[in-house]
Amino acid sequence: MEKAIKVKNVSKKYKLYSGNKERFLDLVTPKSYGKDFYALTNVNFEAEKGDIVGFIGINGSGKSTLSNIIAGILPETTGFVKLNGEAALIAVASGLKGDLTGRDNIELKLLMLGFNKNEIKQLEPEIIEFAELETFIDQPVKSYSSGMKSRLGFAISVNINPDILIIDEALSVGDKAFAEKSLEKMREFKKRGKTMIFVSHSLGQMKEFCEKILWLEYGVVKDYGTTDEVLPKYEQFLKQWKKMSNKERKKYRNDKITENMKQFQSRAFIYGQRRRKW
Amino acid sequence: MKSAWKVIKEQIDHFYLIRRLSLYELKNKNKNNYLGMAWELISPSIQIMIYWFVFGLLLSREDVTMGGEPVPFILWLIGGFFVWTFFYQSIIQGSKSIYSRLRMLSKMNFPMSIIPSYVIFSQFYVHLAMISIAIIIYQVMGYYINIYYLQLIYCIFATFCLLFAISLITSTISTIVRDFHMLLSSTLRMFLYISGVLWPLSKLEEFPWLLNIMQLNPLYYLIQGYRAAFFGTEWFFITNWHLTIYFWIVIIVLLIIGANMHVRFRKHFIDFL
Repeated sequence: MEKAIKVKNVSKKYKLYSGNKERFLDLVTPKSYGKDFYALTNVNFEAEKGDIVGFIGINGSGKSTLSNIIAGILPETTGFVKLNGEAALIAVASGLKGDLTGRDNIELKLLMLGFNKNEIKQLEPEIIEFAELETFIDQPVKSYSSGMKSRLGFAISVNINPDILIIDEALSVGDKAFAEKSLEKMREFKKRGKTMIFVSHSLGQMKEFCEKILWLEYGVVKDYGTTDEVLPKYEQFLKQWKKMSNKERKKYRNDKITENMKQFQSRAFIYGQRRRKW
Repeated sequence: MKSAWKVIKEQIDHFYLIRRLSLYELKNKNKNNYLGMAWELISPSIQIMIYWFVFGLLLSREDVTMGGEPVPFILWLIGGFFVWTFFYQSIIQGSKSIYSRLRMLSKMNFPMSIIPSYVIFSQFYVHLAMISIAIIIYQVMGYYINIYYLQLIYCIFATFCLLFAISLITSTISTIVRDFHMLLSSTLRMFLYISGVLWPLSKLEEFPWLLNIMQLNPLYYLIQGYRAAFFGTEWFFITNWHLTIYFWIVIIVLLIIGANMHVRFRKHFIDFL
């Protein structure tokens, strides 16, 4: 089978500064200021063409960071991502310009994605139809309700026909009818053998839709396998997690992060990985 | 050098995109005004009336000598002021172009170096309209279209190159250190007074060393070029060939610096938001 996504040793480092002074010093001096925070540490995973992979994990586990890196919106700090084809990310807050009308936004967005005049002309009616905005399509986007906005964003991303589709919590917006319609579109994509990544907290949707599950925990891949394999484990973990008190959760979190860092650093040492400042 | 080629190539490859996006830029900016894009012309016209009132009537500036002929002050002012507006607006907009639009981009492989250039391009339409207005005024006032108008094409191209080279640098720095944009917008107005827009530098004849230094300002070179075209005095860039060589060296240096900074940092722009 052909590989569609290959993520190798990807880490994402953020710097946490206690104030503007530290931020400035870090920028202009060679010495490092501020605390390192790894949103992802040494993530490896591969997806074959036609796979539907779900990302699960509790809040702050790095699901969105990873999907943003795969979509090419965020740069990785180390490691690399290899994609076979174009990726499109659908997120709730997709960049739309408030002062422009829905129609202008469609055109602008398509232009930025590299479509030419004819292609845009062809795609535009499909998108408008899918978004169900009717007369609002010629109104400025700032007057839209949040449901309308996400419908428009969703319609654009879906209709550009990407090879790899990354859906970040986007199916939870809109009413039932629209969600059903979106799922229908997803099924169509599935049939056409497109690779998809789902990021969601809804285990029900995951179970119905995904074939593989990537379980992230504090920036590390905890488990990766078929849905039947991983999802029960995750459910069990969630039960445990719910029972924990805040203090226990904190302790669990800190323990895990130290453990991950230790592993990461020894590995980085072995491979002599160059860690860049930027 | 490699980065500079890369950036230039991106401009050429995505010229269609630059043109289209610059139109949206204008549209977006004037969406909320009833008069729409007309404001792009109304506000500089009002400004020029103010300057004319202050300098032409209240302070009654004397005529300026262009190529041996006296030219009324207000006409002399117009020739430089339209260039100034283009310069000022483009530098301000160009400097904040990247960080204010980064969220809009849904892809990192978008050729980011075209962001400053399409922002400049949207100002360019306004500039063209203002040049047309200036030409009409000059026809009415008896300074007719002449062969020297051809150098306008050269001047516009040179202005564009200068603006692009500067914007590559400023947009990168502004994205990383937001304060830079504040500094730029508060100090830029100074150039209005030292670039020979409001008063002819020939007033400094008694201080030749100062005059020489001020002539090194690339904006001054451009403004004098436009004026030479409008008043039909000379082929400015040929008679002042040493300034021309100097100007293009400055452009190339700025472009290389800007392109290197841009290419080095662009992958990480999003981390600075």
